[in-house]
Amino acid sequence: MVKVSLDHVTKAFGSVKAVQDVSVGIGEGELFLMVGPSGCGKTTALRIIAGFYKPDTGSVRFDDKEVNDLPPYKRNTGMVFQNYALWPHMNIYDNVAFGLKIRKVPSSERVDRIKRVLDIVRMREYAERFPNQLSGGQQQRIALARALVIEPSVLLLDEPLSNLDAKLRVEMRSEIRRIQKELGITTIYVTHDQSEALAIADRIAVMNVGCISQVGTPREIYQYPQNPFVASFMGEPNIIDGRIDTINKETGLVRVRIDEKLVLEGRLPRDLSSYTNGDKVSCFIRPETILGNEQSPQRFQVKVLETSYQGQTEHYSFELPDGRVLRAIGFNPSGHLVQVGETMTIELPAEKVMVLKQ
Amino acid sequence: MTGFRLRSFDSKAFTIFLAIMIFFTIFLFYPIAYVFESAFVIEGKITPAFFLLLFSDQFLTQSLTNSILIGVMVTVFTAVFSLPLAFLCVRYNFPWKTILQGLLLVPLVMPPFVGAIGLKQIFARYGSLNLLLIDLGLMNPRNPVDWFGGGFWGIILIEVLNLFPIMYLSIAAALANIDPCLEEAAESLGAKGFALFRKVTFPLTFPGFFAGAIIVFIWAFTDLGTPLIFDFSKTIPAQIFSMTQDIATNPMGYVLTIVALLVSVVALLAVKRYVGLRSYEMLGRGHVSRREKTLTGWRARAAMGILIMVVGVAMIPQISVILMSLAGKWFQTVLPTQYTTRYFSILLTHPVAGPSIFNSLFYSVLSTAIDITLGFVIAYMLTRRRFPGRDLLDSVAMMPLAIPGVVIAFGYLAAFSRTPLNAFVNPVPLLIVSYAIRRLPYTVRAAYAGFQQTSVYLEEAAMNLGASPLRTMRAITFPLILANVVAGGILSFSAAMMEVSDSLILAPQDQYYPMTKAIYEVNNRLSDGPFVASALGVVGIIVVAICFLVANKLLGRSLGELFRAG
Repeated sequence: MVKVSLDHVTKAFGSVKAVQDVSVGIGEGELFLMVGPSGCGKTTALRIIAGFYKPDTGSVRFDDKEVNDLPPYKRNTGMVFQNYALWPHMNIYDNVAFGLKIRKVPSSERVDRIKRVLDIVRMREYAERFPNQLSGGQQQRIALARALVIEPSVLLLDEPLSNLDAKLRVEMRSEIRRIQKELGITTIYVTHDQSEALAIADRIAVMNVGCISQVGTPREIYQYPQNPFVASFMGEPNIIDGRIDTINKETGLVRVRIDEKLVLEGRLPRDLSSYTNGDKVSCFIRPETILGNEQSPQRFQVKVLETSYQGQTEHYSFELPDGRVLRAIGFNPSGHLVQVGETMTIELPAEKVMVLKQ
Repeated sequence: MTGFRLRSFDSKAFTIFLAIMIFFTIFLFYPIAYVFESAFVIEGKITPAFFLLLFSDQFLTQSLTNSILIGVMVTVFTAVFSLPLAFLCVRYNFPWKTILQGLLLVPLVMPPFVGAIGLKQIFARYGSLNLLLIDLGLMNPRNPVDWFGGGFWGIILIEVLNLFPIMYLSIAAALANIDPCLEEAAESLGAKGFALFRKVTFPLTFPGFFAGAIIVFIWAFTDLGTPLIFDFSKTIPAQIFSMTQDIATNPMGYVLTIVALLVSVVALLAVKRYVGLRSYEMLGRGHVSRREKTLTGWRARAAMGILIMVVGVAMIPQISVILMSLAGKWFQTVLPTQYTTRYFSILLTHPVAGPSIFNSLFYSVLSTAIDITLGFVIAYMLTRRRFPGRDLLDSVAMMPLAIPGVVIAFGYLAAFSRTPLNAFVNPVPLLIVSYAIRRLPYTVRAAYAGFQQTSVYLEEAAMNLGASPLRTMRAITFPLILANVVAGGILSFSAAMMEVSDSLILAPQDQYYPMTKAIYEVNNRLSDGPFVASALGVVGIIVVAICFLVANKLLGRSLGELFRAG
């Protein structure tokens, strides 16, 4: 088990900077998620760690050893590819055995380890099959087994679930976390799916145009985004722009003037030193926080424009007095909470309005 | 995100690239440059003097006209036959279709000039056809028709029969690859029947059509064996062949070689420009599901009838060659009056024919080994590496498609005459290299398709698990593209076995004769010559037919696409 660290790593393809000055440390046994929109550089970063790309500048270290010049086949990482990359001319057993044969593991031990890893991914009875005889989810398990069986120092997962259907995705992600925690392997997992990241990560790095925007636990990332990109990438918040009116440095609360009539009270991020009166800011309000019942003094009269029942949740569009539209989500609605056209009062507790500099 | 690379400048790949380019320089550019120099430089000065000589020589200008006419006519006739045939086979289902479609390819197993030997027996002035017509009282025995028109029409006839499968395969592949949506879109806008075909379907087959057409044209235009069999010497290839006798003193051989090269290259460039061919597109793309209608009743019978007729006519040369090889007595009769296996036993002891079989096998095995190795390496470089000169390598590797065999053969003979490779001393190395270089595009294409179908991730997965690049190649890449490489190799092999121009020109001494040259020489001998030659031809047919069956099995439908130019 190793720690992985990237130190000011940059990688460009032609004029496109895929990864820009990325520094991050991943701890032993940690399940570390890299998340971001497509083209944000997360896969490139992963492939740099695997050794498929050499960084232009900066260094990659496993524990304290720099591995920049180590080719991929000497890094002892186990990678799961997005399309699984199972070798079609080998059966499942041979696919899994490949890494052990390369490592010249004696055959009796090899058999044991393959059996064990196939048990872990619950695929023992499929050893004789060929990849094209397995479903996507099964192939995914085999790809995982093939990477795990060599007992890699680092497990690398490149969008491992993106080819599975929604239900299987949810099932497999907790499966991956279970296995990862059971074996305690340092794991770096790349995905574009923010809910996947929130659900399983120990820590998350949110990436945007080649840079890391923020690193933190799922809770920190979701509840305390440090910039507008992270706030809007994680979830689908309502965004209202305005200027800072007054700041309360003690509580971190802030009053934001939206327009002539409307002033919103919200909270600044933990590090508020760079904020001053008159700054242009955006207020981020998560739809699921709007229909709370917290006796907040910040209340608005709204008109219900639209409702959409979705089983677990119900989605609403509300019109504020100045014509702005707010989206809100209610959970597990047993009956109709509101009717289209009616007027109602909503609460926007200042604690739930995240104010971030544009 | 292509492939594994650690360095930004891939010096290993560049070194391999340079080595390959040196090979091409020695065996492709140098001989052609040598021919150019001999044709245009007199006493150190560039002059078109020899070239102008060509146009003042009526015999040679007539030869050029004949060759171009033969090329154009063969192309037009094969196209006229192939288009409806391809349309019928791609769009409709009918009984026996698979077998009949397979039989359509039979002419490919034999070079045209061997068929010409058989065809002469059938269509000559006192050949089977006229004798049959005389027997039936339909023809005046004193004045039978000359079906060959002095040889010119005979050449066209045999070449159309022999080369139409290439055209057919190209058009059929193009038709099969048309996305059904394109036609459905036209139908939804009201086009149907012939208008749909003329406005949408037919134009969409142009790339395939022209790709086949250019191969057929170059082949017919530069075919050497057939005019020789018909004693029709007024063609460019036949003239080049006769000028190899005084290659050291007569500049006209060089001029004619340049003419043959220029006509071929200009034709190819014109076609490329017109349709914008993209070399690998067809092999790489997945096949779309086709719109096949199943024919019933009289339509089905008519379709079968048409195909049986075409197959029957197309196989006349093959059948007549087989008949000749077995004919104990066949003189002034419609069919042989006696049958024998004598000619095959003669082959075993014949001083030229017997060894030629082994010579051909030996040359072809070695040239195929070169093709497979180079094809694999070049395809690997083109698909898996980035290095300066990549595009150059791509076009150079495909170049031999546009360069006629007579050009390469004449160039080799002339350019290496004062080197240890001199063909007049020992033609073996040059024969092998000429076979190899001419068919290299087949193996490059086949391997290229294999690499393209094999995801780079499969290789990366192996490296990630600790396999070195070499081990990855051995355990993952090579097994996955083996079928393609083998199929391309088999095609190269059978093409080498059937190779005519290099064989005729480059092997002056009879102990080095490959089969095709032996067939040609033996055929010229009196008495049983044509019959022994036919027996030898049948041996060749059997070897090549087996190769085709195996390649077809391995490659499936993409076989036809390997014959495309571009």
